[in-house]
Amino acid sequence: MADRGGERGGERGGERGGFGRGFGRGGRGDRGGRRGGRRGGRQQEEEKWVPVTKLGRLVREGKIHKIEEIYLHSLPVKEHQIIELLVPGLKDEVMKITPVQKQTRAGQRTRFKAFVVVGDCDGHVGLGVKCAKEVATAIRGAIILAKLSVVPVRRGYWGNKIGQPHTVPCKVTGKCGSVTVRMVPAPRGSGIVAARVPKKVLQFAGIEDVFTSSRGSTKTLGNFVKATFDCLMKTYGFLTPEFWDETRYVKTPFQEFTDLLAKPTKGLVIEAPVETVEA
Amino acid sequence: MAEEVHLGLPGPWAADYREKADHYTTKIGGVPDWPTGDMGIKPEMLQCSLCGTKLCLVAQVYAPVVKLNIEERIIYVLVCPTPECGPKPQSWKVLRVQKCRNVEQTEGDGDELGQGTGPPSTSVPEEQIDKNKSHDINDDDFDLDALAEALEQAATLASNSKKKNKSKCANAPIERPVLKEKPADLSIPVLPCFYIYYDKEQYRVKVAVGSSSNEFPLDKEMTDTGNYEEEKWDGEKYEYDKAIGADRTFLKFKKRLDAYPEQCFRYSYGGKPLLAATKVQDAGTCRFCGSPRQYELQLMSPLLYFLHEAGKGSSNYGPSNWTWLTLIVYTCSKSCCPSSCGGRPCGCCWGVAEEEITIQEDEAV
Repeated sequence: MADRGGERGGERGGERGGFGRGFGRGGRGDRGGRRGGRRGGRQQEEEKWVPVTKLGRLVREGKIHKIEEIYLHSLPVKEHQIIELLVPGLKDEVMKITPVQKQTRAGQRTRFKAFVVVGDCDGHVGLGVKCAKEVATAIRGAIILAKLSVVPVRRGYWGNKIGQPHTVPCKVTGKCGSVTVRMVPAPRGSGIVAARVPKKVLQFAGIEDVFTSSRGSTKTLGNFVKATFDCLMKTYGFLTPEFWDETRYVKTPFQEFTDLLAKPTKGLVIEAPVETVEA
Repeated sequence: MAEEVHLGLPGPWAADYREKADHYTTKIGGVPDWPTGDMGIKPEMLQCSLCGTKLCLVAQVYAPVVKLNIEERIIYVLVCPTPECGPKPQSWKVLRVQKCRNVEQTEGDGDELGQGTGPPSTSVPEEQIDKNKSHDINDDDFDLDALAEALEQAATLASNSKKKNKSKCANAPIERPVLKEKPADLSIPVLPCFYIYYDKEQYRVKVAVGSSSNEFPLDKEMTDTGNYEEEKWDGEKYEYDKAIGADRTFLKFKKRLDAYPEQCFRYSYGGKPLLAATKVQDAGTCRFCGSPRQYELQLMSPLLYFLHEAGKGSSNYGPSNWTWLTLIVYTCSKSCCPSSCGGRPCGCCWGVAEEEITIQEDEAV
């Protein structure tokens, strides 16, 4: 027994030095250290991220280069690390933290609701809302939810198609609750003509000039912000003559990167990758 | 609900994927370590129900039940290695192997092994070696034949691994020194193998009072954004988490995964599973005793990721086509003895029972 135990211990000891496939980033101490509760600072999340979904695995391997490939097939994004990897220039900002209260028998229970907008000021924007008992938790959760909801924003021209697109391509309107927000294309140099709160969302989206008009109880700023975001989501949903051509269908990333159909099935035995043992 | 959840975290890789351990080891992949050489398992139990291929081992978990005083109990999760069968739920099998005990021996062994039972809560893999030793010393029924053959295996393991490495293909016939048991069947496919160490999940308990200490550094955030007096964010109520691609259940699942991103499986005998989707299938009842099945452990996506990473470059690799989020294993709530010894005082036969496994898929794929 001692022989076998020693041998196994020796083999494991040898492996511990360099883990190689997959466990290379964390040594034993790292895992042990993380045991005692929440970790303090932010870690390099690209390195430590272990993807959960198939899409996450494809992104981690680098098989998907742009987020547009995900939008093209309307694949649901379930991990915020995907967005972090694919859209590198994302900035986030906390728009508001409000307390929300609930009446209980033992008094009032206060929780905090955080509104966070993320965007790269160049066509991608996301909005996240999270309620939590602590402010820090709410902000952290809202940032994650905002990243999960990043959508593309279509920009167009008001008149001459000179330079880069700067405004919305057409009149669009979005609604949330009783608030409707209408965005109208504006000439270059107009700037964003909107209230302070939706202006922030539009700046993060990368829209330079737009006229807006709102209706309803815009005092409920939560709904106002969500209505603006809904409006931005609809910019790519509007059918314009550029999209009249027949769609050329492209394979989804899942079909493209599957080994099943690509390789001919020969034997049913898995070739276990064999270790080279240094003598 | 103070259910303790033990997490199986990845340990070191095995030097050779086909190396043998003992049945007290918890590991992923590799060759299943049956407690005795001749288990008497019917061949169709080890074959895929869809295509008939021999199943390969995904996880072997040593799972004693302290409350019912059962020490010799292992759970094996098997899957068909062909890429076509992998995603289908019928190609997965869970076997519970348990030693049937009669009444006299239960009291004797129960006290001695009392200190070593349950998944060890410390995290060093050497602990498992120590536990193996303590089991072997305390167990009166220890099989000396098994000890002899184990020593022989250990002695020939070094020379064997070198020989195997020279031949690339796994199913080429290899000259092996004569062992007591049948030579390991090299046509059984094998997944990359690594060992597991345990840790308890320390999920942060929600703070009852709205914490004041965390507010101060972020107070300025609140005042900055609230500068404009005309803006009052009125009428806000509590809102559940919502994302475009993920629902609330998945967001909670992901949150607990992010706390321990490398967890390969979660173990909680009789506890509640961490669901990734709300649809749950009924677990049914045990085939032997008719008592209802209960949740015992679930395999998690990081395991799939590690197997996938390890198998890159090999063609026809099963785990590349798996898309599950979690696999939930339900076992008999009474952990009945599945062997057919009729209650004779034998205390040495091992019974094998097939248990239920449900898959929660990633429906986007």
